[in-house]
Amino acid sequence: MTESKERWFRALTLVRRSAARDVDDELRFHVESRVADLVASGVDPATARARAEAEFGDQRTIREQTVRIDERIRRRRRLGDWLNEIWRDVVVGLRSLRRTPGVAISALLCSALGIGATGAITSAAYAILVRALPYADADHLVAVYSENPGRAYHRVNVSWPDYETWRDGTRAFSALGMWTWTTLTFSGEGGEAERIEGAEMTPNLVTILGVAPELGHGFVPTDTMPGAPPVALISHGLWQRRYGGDSTIVGRRVEIGSQMTTIVGVMPPRFNFPDRGDAWIPFKPRPGAEAHGNRGYAGAIGRLRPNVTIDQARSDMYRIDAAMVRDFPNENEGWRSEILPLRDDLVGDLKRPVQIFLAAVMMVLLIVCANVANLLLARGAARSGEIAVRTALGASRQRLARQLMTESFALAIVAGAFGVMIAWWGVRLLRYAFPGQTPPSYISLTVDGASLAFIAGITLLTGVLFGILPAVRGTRVDLGTVLRGVGRGSDGHQSRVRGSLVVLEIALTVVLTVGAMLLLRSYKNFEGTALGFDEQGILSARIALAKPDYPTSAQRIEFYDRLLARLRALPGVTFAASAQGIPFSGWNLQAWARIEGMPPRKRGEELDAHYQYVSSDYFKAIGVGLVRGRWLTPQDRDSLHPPVLVNEQMVKVGFGGADPIGKHVLIGGDRDPVATVVGVVRDFRHYRLPEPMGPAVYYAYAAYPTLGQTIVLRTGSRDPHALIPELRRVVRELDPRVALSEVQTFDEVVGRSRWRQRLHGAVLSIFAVLSLVLACIGLYGVLSYAVTQRTRELGVRIALGANTGDVVRLVLRQSGALVVGGVAVGLIGALFASRLLETLLYGVGPADLLTFTTVPLGLAAVALLASAIPARRAAEVDPIAAIRAE
Amino acid sequence: MARSVDLLQGTLDLLVLKTLSWGPAHGYAIARWIEQLTGEVLRIGEGSLYPALHRLEERSLVASDWQRSSTNRRAKVYRLTPAGRTQLRAESGEWSDFVAAVAKVLRAAEAPSS
Repeated sequence: MTESKERWFRALTLVRRSAARDVDDELRFHVESRVADLVASGVDPATARARAEAEFGDQRTIREQTVRIDERIRRRRRLGDWLNEIWRDVVVGLRSLRRTPGVAISALLCSALGIGATGAITSAAYAILVRALPYADADHLVAVYSENPGRAYHRVNVSWPDYETWRDGTRAFSALGMWTWTTLTFSGEGGEAERIEGAEMTPNLVTILGVAPELGHGFVPTDTMPGAPPVALISHGLWQRRYGGDSTIVGRRVEIGSQMTTIVGVMPPRFNFPDRGDAWIPFKPRPGAEAHGNRGYAGAIGRLRPNVTIDQARSDMYRIDAAMVRDFPNENEGWRSEILPLRDDLVGDLKRPVQIFLAAVMMVLLIVCANVANLLLARGAARSGEIAVRTALGASRQRLARQLMTESFALAIVAGAFGVMIAWWGVRLLRYAFPGQTPPSYISLTVDGASLAFIAGITLLTGVLFGILPAVRGTRVDLGTVLRGVGRGSDGHQSRVRGSLVVLEIALTVVLTVGAMLLLRSYKNFEGTALGFDEQGILSARIALAKPDYPTSAQRIEFYDRLLARLRALPGVTFAASAQGIPFSGWNLQAWARIEGMPPRKRGEELDAHYQYVSSDYFKAIGVGLVRGRWLTPQDRDSLHPPVLVNEQMVKVGFGGADPIGKHVLIGGDRDPVATVVGVVRDFRHYRLPEPMGPAVYYAYAAYPTLGQTIVLRTGSRDPHALIPELRRVVRELDPRVALSEVQTFDEVVGRSRWRQRLHGAVLSIFAVLSLVLACIGLYGVLSYAVTQRTRELGVRIALGANTGDVVRLVLRQSGALVVGGVAVGLIGALFASRLLETLLYGVGPADLLTFTTVPLGLAAVALLASAIPARRAAEVDPIAAIRAE
Repeated sequence: MARSVDLLQGTLDLLVLKTLSWGPAHGYAIARWIEQLTGEVLRIGEGSLYPALHRLEERSLVASDWQRSSTNRRAKVYRLTPAGRTQLRAESGEWSDFVAAVAKVLRAAEAPSS
């Protein structure tokens, strides 16, 4: 039996024995009294005893019952006593904290901020990195892409034939589904025509995700057959909003994309796919897009069979890939499947920032703990008299340490309560960090039970962290010294401990500030990068015509011509134009480019060029100039020998810098028409930063009239938002079934593309400022305490003729040593830490010289400022009062 | 010898509380008082008084302390707590209602028509 067990056992038997003894006494008293009464009334003693015992009943059972009740009572009392004692400690602690309200409030504020910030970030991290995706058995879900490692293409969309081959050949997946983005126009019933984001998905995908519709059923395999009647699934939100939650919606036929479509089901709340989609139709491969090389569809999602690992799935799929390379060398050479867990696919690019935020917030928490420990230590030193008296009166060191720990815990718990509020508020704030101010449906940002448990854990941890030092140091009191009034509790060791805490704080602040500055500089670089187009004063909106309504090219051209003509006539509009995809919209169609007069490129090194169809005024509308040649005109309608514009990159990469005007280019396959270059436009950033610019070719819309275009309106003087109602009216007048989507200004589009950089910079800056303030408070605390401790010494020095400058220098020298030490340690830490940031930086290196010089200098300046007040106080010490006070 | 009636647990509690409402008493005195007042009709198995007393103590309806008895022996003396007094009032009322209801049934001349 271990020692502690034995102690417990002894304690238990002790309780039992004494409870039993009391019960025995009580019962014996009863029987003896009865015997005595009976004897007094003349019964002989033997008979009397027998009768008394008979009347009493079964003594053993009664005794046992009663003892059991008594033990229960005693146990409860002991627990009560224990709780009472803690409560007394808490009350004493809070009372003594109230005596030093300055310390109490700053400690509370610091720790509440620290706990709150940590709570918010960990809640977010949990939601993003840990909490299961809202799909059944989500660990078995993987995303499947194509990749071409040789050409460094990763996470490329997949082609329909590749998908079919994988689906039919794989042994690793229980099912493999395919989907692609789509936008659907809902019109007719339920209000105005509107564009709904959604997806086309293979019927099995709903089953793969494991989310059952709340109404109706999913798709059936025959839904994808050619000629199958059109069906759709809608989200809970869309059902509520557009159809008022009408439960007869299932089976109803509504107009989607000018086709009467049967709603076959409503998905449950919070199911959106992908990201924010609200409506889904069965996936139908496009006719004429059925080559292995046509990797234009979005992606595949698969469910692994039980007990199949990702690596096993990869080797299974590589086997199929190898067969495809053999069968279709032209299209599949160098290509293979790329499998990654669905979570990594969805939130993979948030992983790094979240980890960095976590590390940063832990540093803030550490600073908080150092700071509060410092405050409590200073207070402990001031209380050394009280503690010495209590020790002298017989309080054990453990008892005093427990008292001090209870105080720290009480402080931590109150701070934790405020911290929960700060965390709740912080998490709400983080929601706004996502584009569109809504995180995607698979990230649920909340402070839930898990987060609360974690915050409680942090709270207790901080209680220990900032309580332990004062408890150990504060109770080690040399009675003689303190009570005699010498030294006043200021021992050298203690001030060394407090000094190192300040050094730690400053060092961590340097690390955080360097990180924040690097990220802010990246953001500035993002903002400062010349885009090549003018994003001010432009309104854009996407339009997609329905094929049944506009079957011929002539009809489409006529619609867009009339639309642009009417828009151009609106007051304040200087240009009205259209393109397939505007800059930063994610529109990215690329094809092989072969150029007349240039040697053919080797396989694997083909030139890929971005291409799209634009109206004649598009470049003028977005402020991109012509370098040479001519613009496209409305008369450029020849689709057999189309004229094209190219950008400067294309000239450089494709034509080797030679004059391209009049040269022929072939974009796409052999069946595509040969185009003639008529002009060169300036380069501009079509892709979002930090992606580089690339070669591009522009066709005239009239030569290839597609159904969908993005309208671009430039205004000279007006706020582009003011054009929205007029734009809607013009479109409605032309065709009420045509819906507008993504109605936004260019600067909104551009601004939104920077959200990640802004988020990184903003979060780290908040932490850096927080830590700077905390470190200054810490430094200030240590110095003012030191000045108070040295009042007598300073008084003597002044009396002996030291002037103000000498005294100020004395204090500043002390603070200078701490600051220099902290900055030096911090810089070394920052050099390591900034490497971790490297992938998030743009246009600035991890060892950026500017950052690594301004941060330490700035911090040192601020820190010295924080020591100015104590230094001034030191200089104003009245020598006579200081010496007399002793 | 009088016929004795088995006491229900709750009834015993009620009697103990009532007895203690006259003043503090030890277990033996409580047993004697109940016996005398009920004319020995409600004769309690005297020992069962003690689990009942301790349970009342557990519920904080009575409190106890050790005193010297008249014969100078250690005796555990019980007294009613304010909570016990409240409980007594409530239970007496319920008991009267119960008795009245049973009496009404017993007085009834014929079966109720339903």
